[in-house]
Amino acid sequence: MLAYLQNIAVLFAINAILAMALNFIMGYAGIFSLAQAVFFGIGAYTAGYIALNVSDSLLLSMATAMGISAVLSMALALPALRVRGEYFVAASLGLQMIGVTIFSEWKSVTGGLGGLVGVPPPVIFGYTLTSTGEFLALATVILLAILSITALLVRGSFGRSLMALRDSESAAQAYGKNVNTVKTLSVAVSAALASLGGVIYAFYMSFVNVEVFTLEMSILLMAMVIIGGTGTLLGPVVGAAIVMALPAALTYLPFIPPGELGTIQQIIYGSAMVLLMMFRPGGLVGGRSKGKTA
Amino acid sequence: MLYLQLLVNGLQTGALYALIAAGFSLIFGMTRIFHAAHGATFTIAGFVFYEFYSVLQWGLVSSILASCVAAGLFGVLLNRWVYVIIQRHEGSFFTVFAASFGAAIVVQNVVAIVFGKGLVTVTTSLSRSVEILPDLYVSPMALIAVLAALLCFAVLHYLFTHTNMGVALRALGENPGLIDVYGLNPRQLGKYAFLIGSVLVVPAAILTAATSGLNPAMGHHVMMISIAATIVGGVGSLRGAAMAGLLFGLAENISLAFVDPQWSEAVTFVILFLFIIFRPGGFYGRAITS
Repeated sequence: MLAYLQNIAVLFAINAILAMALNFIMGYAGIFSLAQAVFFGIGAYTAGYIALNVSDSLLLSMATAMGISAVLSMALALPALRVRGEYFVAASLGLQMIGVTIFSEWKSVTGGLGGLVGVPPPVIFGYTLTSTGEFLALATVILLAILSITALLVRGSFGRSLMALRDSESAAQAYGKNVNTVKTLSVAVSAALASLGGVIYAFYMSFVNVEVFTLEMSILLMAMVIIGGTGTLLGPVVGAAIVMALPAALTYLPFIPPGELGTIQQIIYGSAMVLLMMFRPGGLVGGRSKGKTA
Repeated sequence: MLYLQLLVNGLQTGALYALIAAGFSLIFGMTRIFHAAHGATFTIAGFVFYEFYSVLQWGLVSSILASCVAAGLFGVLLNRWVYVIIQRHEGSFFTVFAASFGAAIVVQNVVAIVFGKGLVTVTTSLSRSVEILPDLYVSPMALIAVLAALLCFAVLHYLFTHTNMGVALRALGENPGLIDVYGLNPRQLGKYAFLIGSVLVVPAAILTAATSGLNPAMGHHVMMISIAATIVGGVGSLRGAAMAGLLFGLAENISLAFVDPQWSEAVTFVILFLFIIFRPGGFYGRAITS
């Protein structure tokens, strides 16, 4: 039972990390990306590849994954600089589809559809992490670190620039904010944070496969952020908890046939998204209504 | 011959994509609602046709009508009960998009429960390919697809240039504020946009049911093609959306000559990506403002 709860807790922490990273651009910068799962994937594949071929050092994997993600996030930043709103969503959708194709076809690095199998346990300062409890500790530390980084960034001048950008790009520019730099940086930070979630995931599962990095994951993450509340610090964490608790709660309902569980769960997410958007667009944690973002 | 074969296949796919994209483009261009559930309309239209034609055996015409009614109803009701309510308190594009996405997820899973997750096909002799030239196989369905697309676009063209409602709809796309000034009702017009746009997926859904088959998850692909084609074609331009749909159909098939089939979806999105970076206005787009 303890192991089961710990397992859920680790997966929850990973999802919360990803949702917070997404909220960073979605809630504060107004960049609605549907490509978050790609950076999750980049983190996981980088960690898996390094652990299998180079070294099993955790810090090396994390640093490389963050670096690669930040560099590749330029593919997302480029359209973000050119267009907004619907156009950007379409561009990120495109990036997500291209990402999945590359993950499943670049066989020499990603192992194709079979994925990377047998990722060795990571080593940090000479200590090897193997048990679920140790991973839980690692995931929690990183989750808290990201929470504080986000809190610091958002409260500081960078965060205020981001929010100014979100509310009115022209006004921000008129006040002398460098729109391009701020946007590019925010996308890079978000991608790097998301890749950390991927690193933990790869080491924890010791298996990386394209199935978790698809559009469904991106949508799920978006649902977490929206349900919890965009642009709030704890919203994504709450959203991740709710979205993760749903499948567990549903298994206890006796009248649902087990074969339809996944489907029913999806119907509930979907309806929750529709109803929330209709009656509480700010999310559960957020204020009642936020009348902006074009 | 390979290229010719791929070209013919591309035309068939492209004609269907053009129809799907035109519906989305119409709704988005006229009402500014990012109707991501357009793919769900497609799924509903296809499965309703399958249910009436293959399961209940109602005959072709009544099945097509049933499919039109289902698609139209879904679009109009979603607009009435979800989008209008959201727009009453705030018009944020993303709020509408997320709600629409949620609706698409619900439809996909409800259809999966009712019809199962597998592929269903409407069997007809028309989808059997005939060798018309050495090594060139074409099914009568390809011709039907192209003709259906041409017919629909002819009707749309007439509608938008020769009827009061069509002109009013175009005006709504151009300047919604002015519509009020002229005493027209934007909400009423929005309803028509949803009705026409949703019914437009019916031919494509039926032809898909008869050729490659339907599965509940296909709405995603349809949605992505319509979004991509609308943007590449230029928002608000039906002609652009149709051309872009055709382009994607051709690109998807002709790319098969050079890369593995797994890459064909990526080809579509590389085209979209390049357009967004280098020509965000699309083929016929107006300049976009942020």
